[in-house]
Amino acid sequence: MARTPKRTARRSKPGAAARGTADAARKRPGRRPASRRAPAAKAGAGKGPRRPSPAPKRAAKVARAAPRRKFTIDPVARELIKNALVTIADNMVFSVIRTSRSTVVKQNLDFSAGILDSAGQLVAQGLSLPPHLGAMMPALDGVLKRFRHDIRPGDLFINNDPYEGGSHLNDIFAFKPVFAKGELICFNCVIAHHTDMGGRVPGGNASDSMEIYQEGFRIPPIKLYEGGKLNETFMRIMDKNVRMSVRVLGDLRAQVAAVNLAEKEMLKFCGEHDVRELKVYMQELIDYAERLTRASIAKLPDGDVSFTDYMDDNGVGIGPMKIQLRLIKKGDEVTVDYTGTSAQCGGALNPNIAFTRSCTYAGLRCVLDLNVPNNAGFYKPITVIAPEGTFVNPLFPAALGARGATGYRLRHAVMGLLAQLMPERMQACPGGSEFAVAMGGYFKDRTPFMSLEFHNTTGAGGGPDRDGQDGSPFAIGNLANTPMELIEAEAPVRYQRYGFLPDTDGAGKYRGCLGIVREYRFLADEATVQVRCDREFNPPWGLLGGQPASPQRSYLNPETENKRMPSKFIRVMKKGEVFRSEMPGGGGYGNPFERDAKVVAEDVRQGKLTLKRARDAYGVAVDPATFAVDEVETRRLRSGAAAA
Amino acid sequence: MEQLRLGVDIGGTFTDILLLAPDGSVHSKKVLSTPDDYSRAIQDGIAQLMGEAGIKPAAVRECSHGTTVATNAIIEHKGVKVGLITTAGFRDVLEIGRFRLPRLYDLSFRKPEPLVERRLRLEVPERIGADGEVVEPLDLEAVDRASDQLVAEGVAAIAICFMNSYVNGAHERLAVERVRARHPALTVTASTEIVPQIQEYERTSTTVVNAYIRPVVERYVAALEQKLRGLQIKAPLMFMQSSGGILPGRTAAKSPVFIIESGPAAGVVGSQRLGEILKRRNLMVLDMGGTTAKATLIEDGKYDLSPEIEVGGRATAGHRLIQGAGYIVQFPTIDIAEVGAGGGSIAWLDAGGGLQVGPQSAGAVPGPVCYDLGGTEPTVTDANLLLGYINPAALVGGDLKLDFAKAERAVAGIGARLGLDVTGAAHGIHLIANANMMRALAGVSTERGRDPRNFVLLAMGGNGAVHAVGLAETLDISTILVPPVAGLFSALGLIFADVEHQLISAFYRLKDQATPADLNATLTPMIREIEEMLRSEGFNEAKRRELRCYADVQYVGQFGGLTVPLSGFPVTRKVMVDLAEGFGRAHLRTYGYRSDEEPLRFLALKVVGRGLAKEARVPRRVVRVDERAAARSERRAYFGPARGWITTPVVPRGALGRKPTDGPLIVEEYDATTVVGPGWRASLDSWNNIVMERKARR
Repeated sequence: MARTPKRTARRSKPGAAARGTADAARKRPGRRPASRRAPAAKAGAGKGPRRPSPAPKRAAKVARAAPRRKFTIDPVARELIKNALVTIADNMVFSVIRTSRSTVVKQNLDFSAGILDSAGQLVAQGLSLPPHLGAMMPALDGVLKRFRHDIRPGDLFINNDPYEGGSHLNDIFAFKPVFAKGELICFNCVIAHHTDMGGRVPGGNASDSMEIYQEGFRIPPIKLYEGGKLNETFMRIMDKNVRMSVRVLGDLRAQVAAVNLAEKEMLKFCGEHDVRELKVYMQELIDYAERLTRASIAKLPDGDVSFTDYMDDNGVGIGPMKIQLRLIKKGDEVTVDYTGTSAQCGGALNPNIAFTRSCTYAGLRCVLDLNVPNNAGFYKPITVIAPEGTFVNPLFPAALGARGATGYRLRHAVMGLLAQLMPERMQACPGGSEFAVAMGGYFKDRTPFMSLEFHNTTGAGGGPDRDGQDGSPFAIGNLANTPMELIEAEAPVRYQRYGFLPDTDGAGKYRGCLGIVREYRFLADEATVQVRCDREFNPPWGLLGGQPASPQRSYLNPETENKRMPSKFIRVMKKGEVFRSEMPGGGGYGNPFERDAKVVAEDVRQGKLTLKRARDAYGVAVDPATFAVDEVETRRLRSGAAAA
Repeated sequence: MEQLRLGVDIGGTFTDILLLAPDGSVHSKKVLSTPDDYSRAIQDGIAQLMGEAGIKPAAVRECSHGTTVATNAIIEHKGVKVGLITTAGFRDVLEIGRFRLPRLYDLSFRKPEPLVERRLRLEVPERIGADGEVVEPLDLEAVDRASDQLVAEGVAAIAICFMNSYVNGAHERLAVERVRARHPALTVTASTEIVPQIQEYERTSTTVVNAYIRPVVERYVAALEQKLRGLQIKAPLMFMQSSGGILPGRTAAKSPVFIIESGPAAGVVGSQRLGEILKRRNLMVLDMGGTTAKATLIEDGKYDLSPEIEVGGRATAGHRLIQGAGYIVQFPTIDIAEVGAGGGSIAWLDAGGGLQVGPQSAGAVPGPVCYDLGGTEPTVTDANLLLGYINPAALVGGDLKLDFAKAERAVAGIGARLGLDVTGAAHGIHLIANANMMRALAGVSTERGRDPRNFVLLAMGGNGAVHAVGLAETLDISTILVPPVAGLFSALGLIFADVEHQLISAFYRLKDQATPADLNATLTPMIREIEEMLRSEGFNEAKRRELRCYADVQYVGQFGGLTVPLSGFPVTRKVMVDLAEGFGRAHLRTYGYRSDEEPLRFLALKVVGRGLAKEARVPRRVVRVDERAAARSERRAYFGPARGWITTPVVPRGALGRKPTDGPLIVEEYDATTVVGPGWRASLDSWNNIVMERKARR
């Protein structure tokens, strides 16, 4: 039953460069039942579109009918082992929270933890960010490519190289191989987003870097510990190459502490179980997740659909960047194909292939059974095709630092793609513009201040049976807004306004959420302010006749000059200057003239829509005194539109 | 019988009533709750209990109450119409919230609707800066206009919350006075009267929740007090608060956000007090009821408080880190991890053929299949019945008859789909329920870096002691306690608690920039206020008032802080030094590290005042006097594939003695069952707890 790392490592990748793996896997004799659907399991980074062929799937079904296990899987034992592994993964999560130093990790929870089997397949995951979905396998694949024959007790690997399976430089992956009785059992993994990795801009989030060398310190897969001994040389070099190195190295140690803690717990668990049986159950958990995923995919309608969304620009002013998607759903498998997407760009908004995959998986997860365990089995029926050299699979040395913003767009695009397949189930585009603002400078006494704030989203788009709720969270991300009083207490800024913007919804039978305005008055003599957002030219889209929402608008000094600003800029703000960000609402769903007139009137009553917009966008006349619907006038307005 | 103390705990299904005499003898009663008017079941239950026990109302000297009435008013949206007055530019803060999501990838999630609709959230010109300076004065005429408009809209309560009021509440105070003077009949709540703490959304939400439920709770308190008077009970009615002390009814009525986690808090306080008496300072408390299981850690004699809770969010097996499902309330609340695993939790198969248990629950109606009240889906209780753990004929002393055959058919049904026989399926359900509860127990222990082996498991609730041995074995815990009246232990905990008042004041500044005089200036009026409160409640002698000052402190840049006691008052240089050391130690204990080189920041100052009773709160021993002594019997019980079915003695608690009896053994009582597994032995301690100890391992 046990397989050598060598064989599986080649197959397990949703990693890069996997041409030909499919065939290799298909020909391999004696494969285990559930993981042999080679073309689906394959997640190649091919240059052209690739269609899954139906033939091997049938073969798979035949094989499944004849299991070759020596003993029967006990469903109760499986559930208990699953629980135990998830608990170990969770304990890594809490260990990181306890011991890490930076707010990125502690407050934004920008990290994930998981357990991968000896072949590099994810078996169990603790708390995990959507953009980290499936990210551990390619990063471990990068490690295995270099160290396959050199993995020993006491080793600990790290990797942050996007071109060797990593994500972006700030994400360092730590892997601890666990040995029991001399046998490799699993790898414990913690990914953490680090405050700084050096490079030209603090934090590494700049969208205008042109190549990865500008973005910071690149760590290919290396042994941070070899046989239990720390590579002090590396730590000294790292210490000199990152800002706030106390914090960064502290967080790295937190990762090490967590994977080591999980090793202890894993060994205790191994002591209570037959190790070979445990390995069989690990594989069974993956197969089980795959079965659940396939059953869930099979419930979706078959189809072949396409969708396009855009980023306004490439981070250095050239755009738009087109994201072209095609989805082929057949039986219990799904292929998502990015062929037709813009070529890779000069700026740093490129997501690398691992990140593109993660965002694609995250989008798909929304329509699949939420109870599917998060492990390698989930990814097997899903193929992601992203031609090399495109925006979503850039070639070395493209910069990637600000790909977080694009990550939102990819998730939006996958939602739009699914809406083409299942308009009765999906919602229009969520509101928001991936708005982020960094403020830095010095107080009068020359002590520095620095504040970074993300406000990525504003709420949901309209759906098939209800509105996009105002101020609702994004289903495929979970980043809170920052309390204004906290920022005011720490940085010389005063908020002037934070609230819904009436009339910014995407109109529809079910409207999208309202946009949100946030206004900042700067109180220091000078503050360097960097703003990053998008959706200025490509606002959140509607569905089935629903309208797009209002676009992003940024203004300087709205009370005086009211100067329009681009979506991405960096500027020194003087004392008393005001910046106003109007973030978009969500897209609408269905014809706005079919919206229940009473609901429109209620929105007017609540001050969420103006009388004029009720009339123009929804064809509803509302009495300004009583907020009652003027039925006669509304009928006239709506029939006029129908005639037109 | 004189000097009786009465504890009344309302749960979703049952109302537990308990009378404790100074010698530790207990009379108790479990009656069905009456959700249309909870006070009715209380009145009837007390009358019945006193009648049965032949107790005169005059003998009742204290009356403590744990209630879900505040929580239910929120969950069932039975609060009043509220208007909000807030700073110009920020009326949507309440509705925008924090963009938190309880469950990723769930497109159907909708956060709860704001308790104040947008048109009833009105803005007035005013602004306080982050340093407390007045940036823009309050426009009092705008306050008048706003309150008039809200009154015209028919609101029954007004909440007031301004930006940065936590540093300077002057504008809020002005606005409150103005509105109260103009509309005396209205309930008015200002944020700084409840929680003067940083974070505008959380503070606004707390204030609004308070305003929303206050009239409901006020009515409830008045009605209950009247019914108690009708029963000739003259003892003042006290309420358990979420932070663990009791409060007079009138205070609770004014600040109902203090009593949201009233019932669960009582069980924890009871456990902590019990631990003090037993000198067992490290306890892991498991309370397993019908729908959920709750876990709390008591370490070195203390439980943790979390600074805020969400009300109305369903109990999930998910991460405590992820929020957004309920209404946020900033009030120190005993930190309890909860999972949807109780006796009524339903077993089901997922699409991949995996056996799952909960979080859906059959509740009390239709209840487990064996209740024969219409339930068809197998539950944990059905599984425990088939395994021989609980009495096959009846529960609660014979009041609830059970249908064994029906339960068997239901469990056999799910077993067939799994390829398991009835016993295998029932045992599987039992084990998976254990695994779910492990999440709550891990949530308060290993997830915080605590080693469970250093703790004693205290099992309560009707089902806690049925599952305790299995959980203890997984956690490597070698001692389990099952207190007397385990099924109504929260009602007992109510009686053990002290009167407690808590005042919080914002104090947001770097430690290096705060002098002892600054701290004293903030603390002095708080101390005066608390002393006054305690005196007014009859704690006139200084030795019966216990005051402690605390500071919430963090390393600059951290999320939240830790509450650290001050070593003395008034604050001196030395107190400040002690504080830094105390924080470092607390940080090391909580998070596993300290870094003394990093700067500290104060977040808030707190004063906790306790009124100490003249007599000991906890008796030396607790014995239920109305226990119908069950006859000794035996039945077959299943202890896993390795041990199989074993004919197991079934005994009442009283049959155990100081000398341990070897398991397997089942102890059956009115309100709870204890399963002593093979490999364990059980005895009674001086307090009448069942003590289970694991025999030396093979």
